[in-house]
Amino acid sequence: MTTALTQKDQVTLTRRQFLQACLFGGGLAVSGFSLLHWFMGPRLTAQTFIGQAKTYEADLAKLIRQGFQELGITPSEIKGKRILLKPNLVEPHQSLSHINTHPLVVRGAVETFLSMGAGSVVVAEGPGHRHDTLLVLEESGLADVLYEDRIPFQDLNTMEGVIMPNLGGQTSLTSLTFPRIVQEVDWVVSLAKMKTHHWAGATLSMKNFFGVMPGNYYGWPKNVLHHAGIPQSIVDINATLKPHFAIVDGIIGMEGDGPIMGTPAHSGVLVMGRNLPAVDATCCRIMGINPDKIEYLRNADQWLGPIHESLIEQRGEAWKQVYRPFALVPEIPAHQGIRLT
Amino acid sequence: MIQEPFRHSLDLLHSAQQPNGGFPYHLGENSRPDATAWAIMALSAYAFDHESCNRGRAYLASQQANDGRVSISPSHPEASWPTPLAIFAWESISQYQEAQSRAIDYLIGFTGQHFSNPDPSIIGHDTSIPGWPWIAETHSWVVPTALALLALHKVGLGTHPRAKAGRHLLLNRQLPNGGWNYGSTTVFNRELPPLPECTAIALQALAGHTAIHEIAQSLQYLSHELPRLRTPISLGWTLLGLGAWDLKPTNTEELVLACLQRQERYGSYTLLSLALLLCGANAQQGLYSLLPGPLPQSPTSFARHQ
Repeated sequence: MTTALTQKDQVTLTRRQFLQACLFGGGLAVSGFSLLHWFMGPRLTAQTFIGQAKTYEADLAKLIRQGFQELGITPSEIKGKRILLKPNLVEPHQSLSHINTHPLVVRGAVETFLSMGAGSVVVAEGPGHRHDTLLVLEESGLADVLYEDRIPFQDLNTMEGVIMPNLGGQTSLTSLTFPRIVQEVDWVVSLAKMKTHHWAGATLSMKNFFGVMPGNYYGWPKNVLHHAGIPQSIVDINATLKPHFAIVDGIIGMEGDGPIMGTPAHSGVLVMGRNLPAVDATCCRIMGINPDKIEYLRNADQWLGPIHESLIEQRGEAWKQVYRPFALVPEIPAHQGIRLT
Repeated sequence: MIQEPFRHSLDLLHSAQQPNGGFPYHLGENSRPDATAWAIMALSAYAFDHESCNRGRAYLASQQANDGRVSISPSHPEASWPTPLAIFAWESISQYQEAQSRAIDYLIGFTGQHFSNPDPSIIGHDTSIPGWPWIAETHSWVVPTALALLALHKVGLGTHPRAKAGRHLLLNRQLPNGGWNYGSTTVFNRELPPLPECTAIALQALAGHTAIHEIAQSLQYLSHELPRLRTPISLGWTLLGLGAWDLKPTNTEELVLACLQRQERYGSYTLLSLALLLCGANAQQGLYSLLPGPLPQSPTSFARHQ
């Protein structure tokens, strides 16, 4: 298991933060976050790459490979590795390409990993709303790409589970059941979509892992996680799964009433990195959303990764150069007060 | 005379049976109750191997908990949604009458979390109607409610308050323009899109107990979807759902053969998918026509008496 984090010897606390730390320190310690560490320890930092692609017809494999280079991912690191790519295919409908990770982004990622010597690449998903996963594959257009490229696909909803202790501790769930394939691969990669979300504010690389949890044990939708708390479950899943990389498809994302009923939003970017909170925080800034106002990012901050701009080293384009505010819906509580100002 | 592609699929299904009598979801995995129940229904429908079905039923009985539930695995007792499938597989087999009876008792005593809807502009459906959840202590959704209803209807409990409430739930979750999603209707005042597999299961569950005018738009939606459905789960359920309303397509065999043919593209279907598709192909009037015992009243004639 590799780690994505680097460290900086710098910490400053406001008086308010100090008081909050004193009040909630016990809870934070229980959840794996040491108050002493926060107070005295180094801050987590990460690198994130933003690459521009105006359309899906661009050479996405080349762009992803450029991102790998900028992020210091070398062929020797990938060689022989078993790679699991997890796209976002929650509920695709025909001709609506802004709902799910575009098949050509999946193809670009597959090509990149294979060209860098990956031992195997498998694409896998457990759609959140539909138990006919093959129909989802067909409707999303991904079936054609996988068939042409001879890339295997696994339905995570129906796969046998492995029970793992919940390392997040944000929900009352003491364990999480993952599909066994997560123990059979070396890298788990989130191939997410850049979208607003009517319960979570934004759905990006971390939220994408709801689709890893098998419907057999979590239902359709993944209702156990909804009852446990969506932001808390996102953190628990990521803390336990420990994903290795993220690529977010923001070439055409979704604004408004996401993750399904919103409208296309053209940002023309792929955002990638080893650290998922940092990737998601960068995506939020591109979308005109304040990552501090997204509960699961706030909960993951300085534990699973950094979300503050000063702690994220930006490679490729600067986020301000590709800033494209996504429409929010004032009536949706999760959208209220999250605009980046 | 069974056509060759069907026989090949039945052979594949049959050969996947495990020493414990159960069938796996994927070839090479462990037995699972849902896959086993569908395999029994498919093999029975084609009178393929009586003894194999009996061994499958025994496996299902071995998976039944003391309270009557049949869960997806012993490590996840809260995932008891396969219980109705076991009830179908045990139907009219005297040896499993007691097991079936306990499973029915479990279903009647089991429900999801229900609550008053604080703001219908956020979630449009009536959240207070009791139905059945996928997983214990979560909300009720369309598919598990439809499966439980089918089981209650089959054993003659269609007038039970839980069955009435279940039908009420399904009708409440029907989308304004027809069809069913996984169970929401509108969220933040936006109508969600219908899904063929959920629509088909709901229509199958309501057949014989609901006036046709109440679901006419959904039948229309599903009939319209049929020509583009080429995957075994959606096609299998759609054939069952339309058949339950005496609307089984005349080109069923052609559709099923084309679906089987697509394994050349995707590789072998999962065993459950294959079994479900075979059930859809064989059933003349929906799921009940595959099971022993009398068929419920003809839905269209039932509708005329309303």
